[in-house]
Amino acid sequence: MSLIACLLCILLVPLATAGLALIHQGLGRSRSAAHAMLATLCGLSVAAIVFVLIGASLAGFAGGHSHAILLQHLRWDWIGAEPLFAHGLRSATGPYSALVLCLQLFTVGIAALVPISAGNDRWRLIAVCASTALLAGLLYPLFSHWVWGGGWLAQLATLTGLPAFVDTGGAGVIQVIGGLCALSVAWVLGPRQGKYTQGMATAIPGHNIVLVLFGCLLALVGWIGLDSAASMLFYGAAPQNLIMVAINAMLSAAAGCLAAVVTTQLRYRKPDASLSANGWIAGLVAGSAGCGLLSPGKTVFIGLVAGGLVTFLVEALELKLLVDDPGGAISVHLGAGLWGLLAFGLFGPTAGPRSAAVLSQLVGIATLLGVMLPLIHLGNLLLNRFVRYRVDIDGDWHGMDIRELGAGAYPEFVMHADEFVPR
Amino acid sequence: MSWIGCILMVSGWLIVMAALLLLAGTTQRLIFILSGILIELLGIGLLAWHYRAIQRGSA
Repeated sequence: MSLIACLLCILLVPLATAGLALIHQGLGRSRSAAHAMLATLCGLSVAAIVFVLIGASLAGFAGGHSHAILLQHLRWDWIGAEPLFAHGLRSATGPYSALVLCLQLFTVGIAALVPISAGNDRWRLIAVCASTALLAGLLYPLFSHWVWGGGWLAQLATLTGLPAFVDTGGAGVIQVIGGLCALSVAWVLGPRQGKYTQGMATAIPGHNIVLVLFGCLLALVGWIGLDSAASMLFYGAAPQNLIMVAINAMLSAAAGCLAAVVTTQLRYRKPDASLSANGWIAGLVAGSAGCGLLSPGKTVFIGLVAGGLVTFLVEALELKLLVDDPGGAISVHLGAGLWGLLAFGLFGPTAGPRSAAVLSQLVGIATLLGVMLPLIHLGNLLLNRFVRYRVDIDGDWHGMDIRELGAGAYPEFVMHADEFVPR
Repeated sequence: MSWIGCILMVSGWLIVMAALLLLAGTTQRLIFILSGILIELLGIGLLAWHYRAIQRGSA
């Protein structure tokens, strides 16, 4: 592993955070724009500090200390046991553990950003910080250890004879965990005032689509860094293999965006810019499960399915399940992330039979849905009892900027009353 | 209702783990793992239905 190449890739990852922040802010209302960006900064700050203090100890790294359960004489490694407050870094012999911590410092921030998008326009700042602390201190490190820290999902071959669960770029560890948290937060918060009237959904369009589309371009650069760094650190990819990672990231994003453009053109007679942006990110999310391990043709197919799927998921969540997700974060990160993990089992390289590879990926997906979702949801329900998540009804109408920050993001702009357009 | 949904999700995962520990054949494992995931999806569906009913009541 090249230290310099890995460090350079890690330093690109904050661009993915910046891109996602712009997307989420642009897809929300103008009256909550400053609050959305401040919530992003606070979320990133809390995530970084809590992860270094507690999370890194639980996440651990391959070959590090861990707790395990002995079943049938086999060691089921379930949580890291590194020293708290990142003290282990000083005693570690090489730079590996420091690089892992550095990368995860940014990836936990990406996971924390996803629910902020779903709670846009109504999630209180203090509650954002509390929920992020739970995510960065316990929930993210738990699954991260299982997949990237040498935990039981990474050791399925030894434990069960199946190939190891593979998540090269964090489609499960980062995106699906963030997406599950977004779903839970959207359930706990309920929809924005005016979103559903007499059972009918009203469209609340994003206030700045230019920022959203610019965010997509920034996210691409960050994603290439993220996929490359994770491939090197957790799956031993050589620097020359990173070319394939970059090619596949671009292809999956392109395919996802084009699929969303064509799908919305066919369904609504005009391409929808916000759904197309969601398609771009969905392509990146789905493609990150396999990164450079898949051929370009298969990557394009995975991106196409992710981009098309996300347009239907956004609609199903909003109209059928009555879940108000202003940035489409649940569909993009949860839906496309799960598809990416399954697709790697279906199309990824495998030494044994294809069915065994699919089974491994299904075990990982089952763990995300059967363990992580209940944990995340119970955690959010419990936190909501102590720190009320939702702003009061006046705050909902006035906007989070005035309510929580005392000043708007665009003080010279006139607010229009006809912001709500019937669908 | 939300508690039942969460319990179903965990039960589904336990079936998946039992399949990994107790079964050896790929086909048998596949059937049990798919069954476990279906039970998890049922749990998620119940949870979604619970919150949808709350939203319908308040709209």
